[in-house]
Amino acid sequence: MTGTTMEISGVNRTDRFTRGSRLVDALSKAGLALAILAVVLYGSFASPAFFTTGNLLNVLTSMSIVGIVVVGMTFVLVAGGLADLSVPATIACGAILSLGLQPMIGPVPAFVLAVALAGLIGLLNGMLVGYAGINPIIATLGVGTIGLGIVQAAVGGVIVYGSNTASAEFAKGRLLGIPVVVLIFLVIALIGHFVLSRSFWGRWTLATGGNYSAAEASAVPVKAVKAGAFVITALASGMSGGLLGLTLQSARPLIGSGYEFSAITAVVVGGVSIIGGFGSVPRAIAGLVFVQLLTNVMVLQGVRTPIQGFVLGILIVGAVGMDAALRKRGVA
Amino acid sequence: MRFLVLASQYRVLIMLGLTLVISALVVPGYLSASTFSLGLDRAATIGLIAIGLTVLLIAGQIDLSGGAVFALAGIVSVILQREIGILPAAIVGILVGAVAGAVNGALVVGLKVNSLVLTLATMLIFRSLAHWITNSQPVTGTDIMLSLALAKTYLEMFTIRSALFIVLIVLLHAWLTRTIPGRNVFAVGSNPAAAKESGIASDRIVFLGFVFAGTLAGLAGVLQSLVTNTGSPVFGSELTVAVIAAVVVGGTRLEGGRGSALGTLGGVLTIGSLTIAMEFQSIPAYVQQVVSGLILILLVVLDRAVTTKGRAPGTRPALVRDKPITQGGKI
Repeated sequence: MTGTTMEISGVNRTDRFTRGSRLVDALSKAGLALAILAVVLYGSFASPAFFTTGNLLNVLTSMSIVGIVVVGMTFVLVAGGLADLSVPATIACGAILSLGLQPMIGPVPAFVLAVALAGLIGLLNGMLVGYAGINPIIATLGVGTIGLGIVQAAVGGVIVYGSNTASAEFAKGRLLGIPVVVLIFLVIALIGHFVLSRSFWGRWTLATGGNYSAAEASAVPVKAVKAGAFVITALASGMSGGLLGLTLQSARPLIGSGYEFSAITAVVVGGVSIIGGFGSVPRAIAGLVFVQLLTNVMVLQGVRTPIQGFVLGILIVGAVGMDAALRKRGVA
Repeated sequence: MRFLVLASQYRVLIMLGLTLVISALVVPGYLSASTFSLGLDRAATIGLIAIGLTVLLIAGQIDLSGGAVFALAGIVSVILQREIGILPAAIVGILVGAVAGAVNGALVVGLKVNSLVLTLATMLIFRSLAHWITNSQPVTGTDIMLSLALAKTYLEMFTIRSALFIVLIVLLHAWLTRTIPGRNVFAVGSNPAAAKESGIASDRIVFLGFVFAGTLAGLAGVLQSLVTNTGSPVFGSELTVAVIAAVVVGGTRLEGGRGSALGTLGGVLTIGSLTIAMEFQSIPAYVQQVVSGLILILLVVLDRAVTTKGRAPGTRPALVRDKPITQGGKI
């Protein structure tokens, strides 16, 4: 009976922290490493094209675009914000505006403004989720629909093309043989990792996701932390969208659709708890590497795109189910 | 505050009235029987899915995969027409919806996972299946005359689809308000633990709720495919927000435990008449999306503003809790 009492009153649970047991933690880390290894092995045997520089660079570049979103999404999940479904809208905002505003204000201000406006969408998400207490999925679904509609209306529902060759050269270029996009991703991932694992904001994020009431009682600004996670995700996906637009030199309104699922899959497959309170950026990136390599092997094997979506869906169900089973807290 | 509470209570009537008045002023010839019949037929698609979602939301769960099930069921019913005939194919299509709902229900109850996250994943799965089966191409049926027959209006008012919707929603109203299983759905949604302690088979109710929602989404998809004589893997992708908006306009709470079938009828009519009005003014689809998104967000915020007070902390059920997973699927 005590179990059920605790269940309905989130305030009085016996456990004070969300913490996966060490064993589960080690197992999930080893499992992920093994899974990545297995995909690499299978890929190199099954397809001669897998272990070529060109292919791996392609994987790395497409991974980086999703990866920037993944870094933000990690904050949302860890803070207990479930998921951000407005990513397609923020990516479209970043891509369309950073290309569309180029003729008027130049490439760099266009990019900055695009990311800032994407951040504004995130702020709206954050206010609704953090301060108004709306369920994150409903809130971001609604805000995403609105944002995407406004972005489409702003450009009249058409495709926008880039007009500045210098910025395109930069985005597609390489530095020391590594694509610039990959470098930007690495920098963002490093910053995200340090903020989440070493800074006060990261500790607050983990505390808020782990036990909201306890964190609130300990004077953690829980509302701001939750809202902040959505702003971070929106800024990240705005940036990701901007880079995507610059590399493709064209942006459709639906350019970002599907990225929300890729990002969520990567984060949950990486073992970041969807209940919140547990997870790190490197874990999410390991999940990303696994999912991206798997997708790449499927593409090389000629597996059609819909089946890839099917596999992503199954991976989410599997990862979330395992997470719920392994990390059930307090209640038996 | 009092004003907000009143506004929230009578929102269906207020919004439906406002929509009709404004539309009538802006769109010439709006208040005619033919417009009404067209709007009702259009709303029936949203409405059928909304019927299933109403039951699920009252039980404290949600199904985001409705749009994908809608497409999948429609495709199956069209593809099988050549093999087994139109009526059996339609029945198989509806069964596909029921099976999809059963998958959702079994996973939510079995894995004890938050239904929002889970149906998000199954939405991806069902949508991919739809693309897989059709090779991402639209498919067409065998008999175009049937589409014409189905689209015919009777009594200058109802198509088969809209009549079915009205009948089902009235039945649902009776079921929710007059029967014990109906009352149990409310009990499960308002306080899962207490419902379980009172001997209600919560898991079974949640599971059947998902099956019901899946079946209705399947039915809507099959009817849509029969009327248009087409099945397409992209059908229904814009429905999710509109359906949730319609149900929420009708006063059903995302928090679970509150809602009514007649409210949903009002919500569906509101969204339907709004859509028709905007289409008459040739407002682009993406602006319509903005409107349904805005309605959804504003009403959910209004609901929160009204209900936050007066509830003891921690007694809010599934969907709005801060950490929904542990409690959401755990009935």
